[in-house]
Amino acid sequence: MSKIAIVTDSNSGITQSQAEECGIYVLPMPFMIGGKTYFEDIDLTQEQFYEMLTTGQEISTSQPSPESVLELWDRLLKEYDEIVHIPMSSGLSGSCQSAMMLAQDYNGKIQVVNNQRISVTQRQSAMDAKHLAAKGMNAAQIKEFLENDKFNSSIYIMLDTLYYLKKGGRITPAAAAIGTLLKLKPVLQIQGEKLDAFAKARTTGQGKSLMINAIKNDIINRFGGFTEEKGIWLQIAYTYDREAAQTWYEEVAAAFPGYDVHMDPLSLSVACHIGPGALAVACCKKIPE
Amino acid sequence: MSLQQIDAKMLSKMFLAGAKNLENKKEWINELNVFPVPDGDTGTNMTMTIMSAAKEVAALGDNGTMDSLCKAISSGSLRGARGNSGVILSQLFRGFTKVVKTYDVLDIPVLAEALEKAVETAYKAVMKPKEGTILTVARGAAEKAGQLAGDGCTDLETFCRAVIEQAEYVLGQTPEMLPVLKQAGVVDSGGQGLVEVLHGAFDAFMGKEVDFDLNSAPAAGGGTGRTGRTSSYEAQANAEIRFGYCTEFIILLNKPFIKKTEMDFKAFLESIGDSIVCVADDDVVKVHVHTNDPGLAIQRALKYGALSNMKIDNMRLEHQEKLFKMSGGQTEELSVELAGGAVPAAPGMPHKESGFIAVSVGDGVNEIFRSLGVDYIIEGGQTMNPSTADILDAVEKVNADTVFILPNNKNIILAANQAAELTTEKNLVVIPTKTIPQGIAAVINYVPELTADENEEAMLEEIGKVRTGQVTYAVRDTVIDEKEIKKDDYMGIGDAGLLAVGQDIARVTEEMVAAMVDDESELISVYYGSDVNETEAEALRRSLESAYPSLDIELQFGGQPIYYYVISVE
Repeated sequence: MSKIAIVTDSNSGITQSQAEECGIYVLPMPFMIGGKTYFEDIDLTQEQFYEMLTTGQEISTSQPSPESVLELWDRLLKEYDEIVHIPMSSGLSGSCQSAMMLAQDYNGKIQVVNNQRISVTQRQSAMDAKHLAAKGMNAAQIKEFLENDKFNSSIYIMLDTLYYLKKGGRITPAAAAIGTLLKLKPVLQIQGEKLDAFAKARTTGQGKSLMINAIKNDIINRFGGFTEEKGIWLQIAYTYDREAAQTWYEEVAAAFPGYDVHMDPLSLSVACHIGPGALAVACCKKIPE
Repeated sequence: MSLQQIDAKMLSKMFLAGAKNLENKKEWINELNVFPVPDGDTGTNMTMTIMSAAKEVAALGDNGTMDSLCKAISSGSLRGARGNSGVILSQLFRGFTKVVKTYDVLDIPVLAEALEKAVETAYKAVMKPKEGTILTVARGAAEKAGQLAGDGCTDLETFCRAVIEQAEYVLGQTPEMLPVLKQAGVVDSGGQGLVEVLHGAFDAFMGKEVDFDLNSAPAAGGGTGRTGRTSSYEAQANAEIRFGYCTEFIILLNKPFIKKTEMDFKAFLESIGDSIVCVADDDVVKVHVHTNDPGLAIQRALKYGALSNMKIDNMRLEHQEKLFKMSGGQTEELSVELAGGAVPAAPGMPHKESGFIAVSVGDGVNEIFRSLGVDYIIEGGQTMNPSTADILDAVEKVNADTVFILPNNKNIILAANQAAELTTEKNLVVIPTKTIPQGIAAVINYVPELTADENEEAMLEEIGKVRTGQVTYAVRDTVIDEKEIKKDDYMGIGDAGLLAVGQDIARVTEEMVAAMVDDESELISVYYGSDVNETEAEALRRSLESAYPSLDIELQFGGQPIYYYVISVE
């Protein structure tokens, strides 16, 4: 059995210390803020990031530099036979494209997974990869498995404001069209690819029930329904407001009794496009045993 | 000895006389409203309903058969139906004619059977039939008729007198059945309307000549079923247009639009026109103003940034077109307020899966509905209930497989349901919104990716969470829910009754809101009407903000008549 390393980036929400715990390698995403480069969870904390975001500093994201990627891979290959590399969604960043290009020189030892996940669903992919490797799959098989599984996840995000969404460009035109006389909270979805418009809400309460209903629909219509085995992972993500997220966590847990719910802060590269105060819920189909 | 049978000619005469008598009593019936609101309209609604049928009946002349007469009465009233009492009246006629049309002449047993069928049909049309209303009065009359027929009564005059007397007796009892009527000191207005129809018909039966001249009826203006609409537009058309150009644009801000700038700009717009909407949203400002000099508005706006989506319409010219169309009898397009813009005309509208129709009144509210994606607006509301035919026309204009309709008034839901039953080519879904804020909540919660059924379910759930209060004034003294109301008092009316009353509009409004807010509330939305100026509305916003610091307060120009404030809490 070949020894396989699992690599992802900090968009997965997996912190450096969690990564160490579960034997996953996490590339920190770089952020350019006020002309200086910071690395997520290395020299940029969530608190610092939001403080700079809300004080109106220009924040731009970029992909991990090729050197940092190559350096990590080369280091890992001294210890491992193969690497499964799970970057953030190719619909949201060029990271995946670059990694694929760099991997070409490694004769198949590096398998870059293009399964269009982000945040909590990307985290789940990394966990799944770890699990599949333990079951004896090789890197190419894991890549194929995860890519076949790519649409078995769904994310809904309710934004507190349209401001950051308008500033950025990573939304489809439909989402940008949500602008009305009333102050509305857009609810976006990620089904692979980009952030897209899903619905809109007048109040937080409305938006929450919209998202819970949407996840229920997805589970019933796309992910095999509510079964005895509870074959669904449920996740919560949020930007900035931990207290509101805790309430949301309890509401989701109550709406899906018996299901485990995992909560993470939303990755910063998404946060900088949607701003603070967003709440999200996601689900992924569990991989069959 | 009087007649013992009624033939088609006599029934036609009786129907027209019944319609005429209802028309004569219209204003009086309007005033029987429980709430002394300025726009009580049961009499108007019932009259428009019956007049729509009467015109078709009159067109038959003396040559109609019983069958063609029944068809005229049934389809004319069905299409012309407006308001709850109007819809119920049309269903009574529909049931009645179902039986009658198979006979050439009517005797007592046939009439008794027809009345029974009428009542059965009308009860079925109402989801939760309420006693103490027109339904109870009709049932009383039908039961009496059945009893007389069973007893072998053979004299038609005696029969009619007894049936009408029973109807009047039951009408007199309605305050005992509905406490709100008793407190207000009135009988049920719809029941009163029905009794007036019966009286008129009986007079004709007894040989009293009634001059049924369509032209003398103020409601008789245009084509079938649209009579009321036409007259309302005539009133509108005759009103002088003070500011001639409807001017709209969006400012792409080059610097933040601070509160002071916003107030200055609005004050400037107020100095050059009216019907002002000026909404700032992060980096754009949407502007709408009726003015005689659009150039001034544009020049001023250029100080804040570049302009886009500019649109200027000459309302005086459009006004002429309206008048022209009316004189040509062509009233088709009139249910859309032309000056409002944005609503696409029928043929050019691309086909889509789902469309929305909202019944709405007021520039601001209409604009909100349009911005939320409503395809077609039927001008109307409490003051003017659109008929089933108006709704059917609108449905025809929306090029979609499924059309959601938001009646936004409890008195329009039945007419919308009736339209849904008459629509065969499209799937017409009535979301029973009783107020404007409920309608807004419904359309906001629409999710394009879900099926019509799933959307309907979600919308129904959400409108249940919206509380609405409306502030208007009283047109007469009365007592409601133990609260004494004097003429000209301000009243705050909630979903289930009177919430506040008094002489100070701000106090009444605040008291009303206090009765609507609870621990679960997140947002208070205030839509201010055409009789409130922005300064007053702003003052209300501030006082609500300090009273409810944890809630979001959103102030919007609604522009609705008669209701100073429409406020929702969700």
